Amino acid sequence: MTTTVAPGRITKGIPAPAIRAVGFVSGWGRGLDAIPADARAAAEGRPVVPLGRPVMEGERFRRATRECLWALAAVEVMLEDEEVDRAVLAGDRTALLFVTAAVYGASNRAFIEGSGGGTHFAYTAPAVVSAEAAIEFGLHGPAALFIGGPPATLRAIWYAATLLGSGTCDRALVLAVETFAECADLYARARRRSAPPLVEAAGCAWLEPGEGRLDLRVGRSSRDAGGDLERRLGETFACGPLAELAVWRRAGGVGDLRLHGRWRGEAADLSITKGGA
Amino acid sequence: MPPRERVAVVAAGVATPIGQDLDAFWSSLLTGSSGISAIERFPVGDLRVGRGGEIKKLTRDIRWTGVPDCRATRLLVSAADELIAQVPLRPADVDPARLAVVVGTALGGVEEGERALAGEGPRRRMRGALYDAPGHNLARWLGARGHVLTVSTACASGATAMGIGADLLRQDMADLVVAGGYDILCRFVLRGFDALRSLTRDEVRPFDRRRSGLLLGEAGALVLLAREADAGRRPLGWVRGHASTGDGSHIAAPDPEGRGLERAVRLALAEAGAAPGDVDFVSAHGTATPLNDRIETAVIKRVFQAHAHAIPVNSIKPTMGHTMGAAATLEAIMCLLAGRHGQIPPTRHLEVPDPECDLDYVPGSARALRPRLSLSTSLGFGGCNGALVLESA
Repeated sequence: MTTTVAPGRITKGIPAPAIRAVGFVSGWGRGLDAIPADARAAAEGRPVVPLGRPVMEGERFRRATRECLWALAAVEVMLEDEEVDRAVLAGDRTALLFVTAAVYGASNRAFIEGSGGGTHFAYTAPAVVSAEAAIEFGLHGPAALFIGGPPATLRAIWYAATLLGSGTCDRALVLAVETFAECADLYARARRRSAPPLVEAAGCAWLEPGEGRLDLRVGRSSRDAGGDLERRLGETFACGPLAELAVWRRAGGVGDLRLHGRWRGEAADLSITKGGA
Repeated sequence: MPPRERVAVVAAGVATPIGQDLDAFWSSLLTGSSGISAIERFPVGDLRVGRGGEIKKLTRDIRWTGVPDCRATRLLVSAADELIAQVPLRPADVDPARLAVVVGTALGGVEEGERALAGEGPRRRMRGALYDAPGHNLARWLGARGHVLTVSTACASGATAMGIGADLLRQDMADLVVAGGYDILCRFVLRGFDALRSLTRDEVRPFDRRRSGLLLGEAGALVLLAREADAGRRPLGWVRGHASTGDGSHIAAPDPEGRGLERAVRLALAEAGAAPGDVDFVSAHGTATPLNDRIETAVIKRVFQAHAHAIPVNSIKPTMGHTMGAAATLEAIMCLLAGRHGQIPPTRHLEVPDPECDLDYVPGSARALRPRLSLSTSLGFGGCNGALVLESA
């Protein structure tokens, strides 16, 4: 059997979400103000700019990995910045879409190299990072995990819009966390010396039904220098688009929104047009 | 929520311990041929359990030149090879930019990570260790230049991938989608489940009173999805509904009441525009862990009410082990083959009923029944749940 499809159709887009809030932390500090003018200069030769381990009280957090704690912290920062009580998020009408390219590296390495018991093994699953956030904030709704760099984050935003548009949820959180420090030696072996520093980061965007259209397109990408924000921030894998989103929102969130991401030779462009904010 | 447009499953391909094409896979499911054996590919002497559904050799006639030496990638390519034998994805027939790949995995290229840590191989081995590497390798092999997604809802990943693949088509973001799941059996995962004491030394006995855990397996499973208008005359069936939900209750154990799974099932039925009474067959996750089987049974009873005892429910995990990211796609393919052939594969090794698991689990031998509408359920680490509603052609 042969299946033939018409080439080159133009996509129509889907109903766009509104961006209600964005929280962002990075190895440079909390929020956008902490981001330096030039990541390479600010890193002073460090290949990885780490986030450290957030301080959280409670027995539940004693064994949790730092990437799990940063997932929680990203949601918390978003709520604090927006001055919204966490109870608003709780329930089965909030979707949680988690994105990461590499956050599981630390736990995988610890399990491979250590004696590692059952609990430790559980933390090697990327799903456990977002599960900790779901447990902490009482999120029981639709959930998915996207693995990859910036294009994966754009797809998580697209999928959030899909869920919102179909009425499957009332709000969606797009959460991204990237940590690198535990595998810094492996990255050093695999990356070019001239590559920008890897900057650990965590971000969360709160999306609700909005106006306008969302369109997501992909194509092939040759390596380019990256945008101005990437030059300032460094390489944050899946967290990059959330930083861009935070910048757009701080600028008033008016006008069309365009997010761009490159990864593994793929370029993705997400646009929200006509009053998407 | 209004029902969504159904999406056709045009073709399927599998690489499993019980067969590396659909005919062998289906035949083994019906006859009860076992894919469980002593693991040979890596050392298991220090583990409690050293058996699983290991594929001893990939048997399809594939030119591996240019395909990375990555077992996960090769499972995917092997499954894809069967798929394209049914529907050639030639550039003349399909615009590569409109061909998308969506794969689900629990472990990605974790074995590449082990090798990178051991200092083996080239510098690029590290990129191969990232969980999205096998999906991109598959896209390259297929010549796909559209969206390439990797999802990781643990052992529900294969369901999430098929659901998101269907959404790409509904929104005209692709014209064809190769969707499915994969995972390999490697020391990392076997040691992990061994440490969790989830593996059984007995047979895998879903819903049996004596059930004592699961065995792991490896597989690649892919379907080719298309919009109805592009599907040709005789698809395998259709994806009617999908939902993936999170429990938000525990990092490794399912919600004790199965509330997240119940939400997934109800959402998937709503997306399909189907009532519980429309469902003819349930393919359960059925891992044979004490908790999972009791929870799934309770959820089926709550959703289907009086109808629950009239619906056949099976688990195919005893035949090849729990193939993690591939499991939900394999089970979806099984549902569609059941509709095509008018047979429901049995739940092997179910001999002593558990009073808490009192549904019709198709024990013993295959059942002559042609399900039109099937439900496939999946659960995974992190409280991940997946549900697919499938319609047979």
